[in-house]
Amino acid sequence: MSGCILRARAVVKRVPTSEGDLTILDGIDLAVDTGAQVAVVGESGSGKTTLLSILAGLDLPTGGDVWLDGEEITALDEEQRARVRARSVGFVFQSFQLIDSLTALENVMLPLELHGRRQAREDALGFMERVGLSARTTHYPLQLSGGEQQRVAIARAFASGPKVLFADEPTGNLDTATGGKIADLLFELNREAGTTLMLVTHDAALARRCAEVIALDAGRMLAPREAAP
Amino acid sequence: MSLSLALRLALRDWRAGELRLLLAALLLAVGAVTAVSLFVDRLQRALVAESAALLGADRVIDASRPVPQRFRDLAADRGLVLADVIRFPSMASSEATGRSQLASVKAVTPGYPLRGTLRVAGEPFTRGRRTDGLPAPGEVWLDSRLFPALDVKVGDTVSVGYADFTVTAVLASEPDRGGGFMGFAPRLLMRAEDIAATRVIQPGSRIRYRLLLAGGGDALRSLHDAIRDELAPGYRWRDVRAANARIDSALERAESFLLLGGLLTVLLAGVAVALSARRYARRHYDHVAVLKTLGATPAEVQWGYTLVLLIIGVAGALAGLVLGAVAHFGIIAALRGFLPMSLPPPGAQPVWVGLLTGFICVLAFGLPPLLRLRGVSPMRVIRRDLAPATASAWTYGCAAAGGLGLLVWYSGDATLTGWALAGAAVTVSVFAGLALILLRGGRALGMQAGSVWRLALAGLHRRHRENVGQIVVFGVAVMLLLIMVLVRTALVDEWQSRIPVRAPNQFVMNVAPAEVGPVETLLKARTGYDGRMFPMIRGRITEVNGIGAAQWQRQRRQRAEETDDERDGPGGRGRPGILRERNLTFLADLPDHNVVVDGDWWAAGAAPSASLEEEYAAALGLALGDSLTFDVGGLPFTAKVTNTRRVAWDSLQPNFFIILSPGALDGQPATYMTSFHLPSERKAFLNELLSRHPTVSVIDVDQIITHLRRIITHVAQAVELVLALVLCAGLLVLIASIQSSRDQRLKELALLRALGGTRRLITGALVAEFAALGAFAGVVAVIGAEITTFTLNRFVFELPASLHPQIWLAGPLFGILMVSAVGYLGTRRLVRTPPATALREL
Ligand SMILES: Nc1ncnc2c1ncn2[C@@H]1O[C@H](COP(=O)(O)OP(=O)(O)O)[C@@H](O)[C@H]1O
Ligand SMILES: [Mg+2]
Repeated sequence: MSGCILRARAVVKRVPTSEGDLTILDGIDLAVDTGAQVAVVGESGSGKTTLLSILAGLDLPTGGDVWLDGEEITALDEEQRARVRARSVGFVFQSFQLIDSLTALENVMLPLELHGRRQAREDALGFMERVGLSARTTHYPLQLSGGEQQRVAIARAFASGPKVLFADEPTGNLDTATGGKIADLLFELNREAGTTLMLVTHDAALARRCAEVIALDAGRMLAPREAAP
Repeated sequence: MSLSLALRLALRDWRAGELRLLLAALLLAVGAVTAVSLFVDRLQRALVAESAALLGADRVIDASRPVPQRFRDLAADRGLVLADVIRFPSMASSEATGRSQLASVKAVTPGYPLRGTLRVAGEPFTRGRRTDGLPAPGEVWLDSRLFPALDVKVGDTVSVGYADFTVTAVLASEPDRGGGFMGFAPRLLMRAEDIAATRVIQPGSRIRYRLLLAGGGDALRSLHDAIRDELAPGYRWRDVRAANARIDSALERAESFLLLGGLLTVLLAGVAVALSARRYARRHYDHVAVLKTLGATPAEVQWGYTLVLLIIGVAGALAGLVLGAVAHFGIIAALRGFLPMSLPPPGAQPVWVGLLTGFICVLAFGLPPLLRLRGVSPMRVIRRDLAPATASAWTYGCAAAGGLGLLVWYSGDATLTGWALAGAAVTVSVFAGLALILLRGGRALGMQAGSVWRLALAGLHRRHRENVGQIVVFGVAVMLLLIMVLVRTALVDEWQSRIPVRAPNQFVMNVAPAEVGPVETLLKARTGYDGRMFPMIRGRITEVNGIGAAQWQRQRRQRAEETDDERDGPGGRGRPGILRERNLTFLADLPDHNVVVDGDWWAAGAAPSASLEEEYAAALGLALGDSLTFDVGGLPFTAKVTNTRRVAWDSLQPNFFIILSPGALDGQPATYMTSFHLPSERKAFLNELLSRHPTVSVIDVDQIITHLRRIITHVAQAVELVLALVLCAGLLVLIASIQSSRDQRLKELALLRALGGTRRLITGALVAEFAALGAFAGVVAVIGAEITTFTLNRFVFELPASLHPQIWLAGPLFGILMVSAVGYLGTRRLVRTPPATALREL
């Protein structure tokens, strides 16, 4: 298993609705090598976000199992999954998910502080600089543009030194030009850190920048790996 | 999560204003409780001190024989301070003028009085000045009345028994004067070591011995425990409360009120803590979801936020203590004019009360909502609608138990608390029902109203679940305020009416039938007297239904306290003893301040009848229809008990245990008594009265009345203070409650504005919505307040219960004003911010 950091087997997700159970994911099998860059594509509603949240251990599947960084996270409890997340996982979300009451810098410091890192501030400042926002450290999220907020989110995601970075439509809320720059930053940092990247997008151009592409359609995988152009 | 991280989180939240309300609520809870406890603690100590002055000591052992050395030794062992008072009636005479007069001699040892002070003067019937001294051996101080009676002045010699004394001062007042029978005679104060020389004390003399005790409560209690069994039946242990029944009932009610007020403050502040903690938790769902995606474990989240809460709790409790201390100093400063006595330093108890209140408020009211944060799913970053499961019943059970424990502990009375809570539960459910009806009705009304009201009432109805909650919270807050105002008014009015400004402060006794006319004329001319002369005869009951009184008493197994002369007389109430000689009166009509509770008052020309005070009758086992035989001046006569009365003992009017129908005592040598009001500065009139009618006795109770009035003023002020605190707490609840609905309103407002609602429309709708909420809350509150005050007045304070139409409009108006003002101020910013910003903030 040396090269495989993320593996899913027969992952099924069903949710109860008023009209009976709704199957969102239906038998997903995949394996991602360490350092790989994987794009998950599909139409809106095809289950991309659901898959990502299960792979990252935010949510539990109805069936099947998931290994992340050597742990079978589907067999862990919330407490243990949180530890795996702390150790191995970073997130970038479509809606940024910064904490409004904290400054940009404090948002970046948060994972470092959670890890009990002593030099949280210095490290965070380094990441702020890396994403080109050293002048905006004391600003609050609401005082930043969408692109800037996403940069802060990216700095925060990399600050904890994750092994796998999950990005859910990181450019989805941004205009094309800004989105392009954010994508550049993401890939650049990813290359530098050697992080495994799992990128959810419905943007074909963005997906093409990844070595592997997984296509989802109504909760099923279409021709894994071969979907790449 | 480490403490330092929790600290940083707390600091950042503080900076963002997230914790202010929570802290304010805690601050108020702790501050209010501390201030009330401190003030009440000190006031109580001061009141006890002041009441102790009426006793001249903290405790008194009272007897008709000398107090045994053993008691003194035990008292001395406990570090108590002692002084002796020996009282007996004796003739005082002046050889120079040849006059003599029965005096009530009081012989004291150095140290007397242990509490309170004596006042002496150079001239009779003047106010005099305080003194710490006593007459030296061989000297006496005389009551003003003795000067005209003996026709002496300061410096002259008077004799008591075989001894001669120099009169060195006028005794203007003594703290423990009381109003006992022996008090009828004017006082002569001398030293105990001079008694022997007078040779007036013979076996069989009527002498009262008192051992005055002063010292710490523990020492006094310990002494009482040590000698309790030896006290009965010859010795009576008297404490401050026994010194005055009037203070007693006023104090008891004040304590109940303060207790109730403190209780409500804690409860309201607790609600404010719970509301603000809930809001804090809600606003942190997203925060926590992000923390969890970053790898924070549920346990870390739980401990982290518990730590944040504890940090706030400690900060709030400490700041609250300071606030409470400052507030109580402020109160004392404000009342300085009214607090003539220096307040004793407080004990440690109030500080603990304050701290523990903060602690329990945090744990019982603040923690449960925060514990929900543990369960926030990290998936919330993706699906916003994922709210954590509600906290377990266990958590709320703990919170309820904690809150209950706090209340019981604070009030020290589980029953009162139990009733208060049961009342609260009923109130809340009734309020909720009422609120729902009001909201429905409001919406129907709104359909026909203008756009502002339509919008407002539709908004109210849309969020009806939260709004029912808010109406209940507002309603309870307004109700509590109304209750406090009503009960306070009733209490203070009642206290003040007890001692009207022109309450009689002089009792005139021993007026011969021939003097009744002249004395009445003189009083009317000089004092605006409009009282009534009561005939009075000393007499005793010798037979009940033909059985000898002594035997009857034995049959009743009544512990007769034959020797007990205290507290019998004007305004006082003695302990019934059937064999005692009593003041009897005969009246055609029922006197004021008396109510017949059983049987009927007699008609003119009825057969000889007797009317008994109800407790007296009950204690002696006498009932309607019993026939009583009296011995008055050696002549027996018999009367039937035809009614029992309730007597307002604190009315300061001449009151009687036994009243007989007119005619029953015809031909007996009656004297008359009455009472009148004499302003303190016109005391010299007494000199004139006594010179013109030398056989008349006057008893001056002005001092006691002044005491009472002062105490009542203090108590009323303490009551007002508590009212102010309850008001603050109520306001805080209001703010917390409006704040907690702010986030949701914000969303709607932003949308409305984005959809093109003008600022005026939106402000209007907002204020209208709050006004409607306030009005509903006011209506609900008035109904609740009426029911509650009725119950409280009836069962706790024992005051007459009535409806209060004055609050029927004031309650809803107050609700409208308060809620729309606080609501508008709290949401004003929302209306002002451009919709884009507002939407983004969501
Ligand atoms: N907990 C849930 N309950 C009901 N429906 C859900 C739930 N989670 C996801 N869905 C539905 O499943 C489908 C897939 O959602 P999602 O994974 O967000 O798709 P994508 O990210 O590809 O747009 C959507 O139709 C969504 O509404
Ligand atoms: Mg999605």
